[in-house]
Amino acid sequence: MPKKILPNRILPLILLTNSANKFVLHRGKPILSCNLSMRTILVTGATGFIGRQLCLALAEQGNRVKALCRNTGHPLLIKHPNITPVQGDILYPASLKKAMQGVTEVYHTAALAKMWCRNPDDFYETNVTGTRNVLQAAADADVKRVVYTSTCGVWGPTLNFPLSEDEPRIVGFPIAYERTKYLAELEVQQFVNRGLDAVTVNPSRVFGEGPVTDSNTVSKMVGGYLKGKWRVIPGSGEQVANYAYLPDVVAGHIAAMDKGIKGNRYILGGEDISFNQFFDTVKNVSGIKHNLVRVPQKVIKFYSHIERVKTQLTGLPPFFLPEFADRLKFDQKYSSQKATTQLGYRITPFADAMQRTVNYLKQA
Amino acid sequence: MPQLTAIITGASEGLGKSFAIELAQRNFNLVLVALPGSSLPQLASYIRKNFNIRVDELEMDLTDADAYPGIFNYLHLTGITAHMLINNAGLGNWAWFEDKNILFYKKQIELNVITPVLLTRLFLEQCDKAETSYILNVGSLGGLFVVPKKQVYGATKSFIRYFTKCLQLELSGSKVRISLLSPGGINTKPELLVMNNKLKGIGKATIMEAEDVARIAIDGLLKGKKEIIPGLANRFLVLLNSMLPGVVKESIIRNRLKLILKS
Repeated sequence: MPKKILPNRILPLILLTNSANKFVLHRGKPILSCNLSMRTILVTGATGFIGRQLCLALAEQGNRVKALCRNTGHPLLIKHPNITPVQGDILYPASLKKAMQGVTEVYHTAALAKMWCRNPDDFYETNVTGTRNVLQAAADADVKRVVYTSTCGVWGPTLNFPLSEDEPRIVGFPIAYERTKYLAELEVQQFVNRGLDAVTVNPSRVFGEGPVTDSNTVSKMVGGYLKGKWRVIPGSGEQVANYAYLPDVVAGHIAAMDKGIKGNRYILGGEDISFNQFFDTVKNVSGIKHNLVRVPQKVIKFYSHIERVKTQLTGLPPFFLPEFADRLKFDQKYSSQKATTQLGYRITPFADAMQRTVNYLKQA
Repeated sequence: MPQLTAIITGASEGLGKSFAIELAQRNFNLVLVALPGSSLPQLASYIRKNFNIRVDELEMDLTDADAYPGIFNYLHLTGITAHMLINNAGLGNWAWFEDKNILFYKKQIELNVITPVLLTRLFLEQCDKAETSYILNVGSLGGLFVVPKKQVYGATKSFIRYFTKCLQLELSGSKVRISLLSPGGINTKPELLVMNNKLKGIGKATIMEAEDVARIAIDGLLKGKKEIIPGLANRFLVLLNSMLPGVVKESIIRNRLKLILKS
């Protein structure tokens, strides 16, 4: 009798082909639960500030996430049923080849984002050679798309108006991180020209709830302020920079994978805020009031030269370097208009984002 | 004081771009010249957006014979008198003489020698004799030192050195200031960014950022300096060069050459 056959034999097939549903029915009852639209996604830099939240967001959406890390026992790796730690290193192509098996999408967030490194060649190795390795492995594995996490640092200082993607950089590349991220973008462009589908995202200064590490300068500053250890405002305090909230940046990554145009770049930023506004906001949302001293740029520059000599003589990490002191003469204002229009990127108001960050850092 | 206008050749990238930004910050109107497809329009509109100056962009190949009068015809038609000429466009190389073909050398000599000579000639013709005018010729420390693998490039820069020094004498009674810029290495192109950052010691100290070279050069040009050598390490090298006897210099270069041949 046809009426009986339909639900038992054909309905499961219909459900299979409309694969958004999770249940396959047998005699009207679900017999197994699986997400048929489940994607397998590789995230490099899975223990990093952006990478770990990205893994979590993708896993929460029901994707199978392979989290590439050098040490699968890393304390910052997020534990989640959909996240599988995969041992590997972007400097070892063989490990990437293995990690790419069955993968359709790659987020390449791994990078050396510190201010200083004992071996200066590490910046080139990790950020340029590492990126080339990831792109090559992705091309070999016929991955559908790679989203590459770059930085607004490829533009660096800006003039009077917020900068957008097609506008030029106005200074050189004395900062190793910015230089190597720029060179890595050229690698991405070359792979795109050869046919690989890749989209680049350029977050500005990212902050939010997450571990305080060397590459996370905003959290270091805010955390220091809350503990009463950070007591300075650089220069006049009028210098403006752009601050992006971590969950916005993570959502921007996923939107770039879904909606980005091949070969394009997208600034993922937040509000343009001066140092004065920054610390006023931290004061307001934390309720903690410390007096801050304004230190002239020239004094910082002088001190940074001492730090450089100290580092050269002792090999100890510097607190600050001259090329960063020079940056205090410029604003770094960026427009996220393109991402807003094309990706539906959204910016959380700075005060709200800072409130949540401060709450997190107070508990940590 | 009326707003002055500067012509910059090779303005889309590297040192030329830094000259454009530097002069925009000093409130000069700009006439930017660069090859088509070198994202010159983006640079021009960015400068227009951020500064209250007039920016004209001319996309052309300066090795075309029509290009030289083309620039000044355009200025004449638009009623612009140029007060400053920055002869910046140039083609470098780092290769054994036999590794490049004849078309490359022809282009290199045209761009590094013929272009600045003809542009200088046409620029002087249109100058307002009552106003001070400025010419900056971008040479190189390579015009002073004999460096292997830079045979033609160095020779073109030696030409620029002689040409500039001689014009300085000829124009000494006029209101034209002409300066020679002799920079060491500059961090501009991606391959130079990689190469220069592998250098150590004095080699590293001779390398500078384009924006610093541009700032020092314009300061020197406006002050009427005859030769501008940016950077302490570079000035030290020039001083050393003038003091060391020829025999010693030659042996240093030969030793360097041996190292290069080995690598």
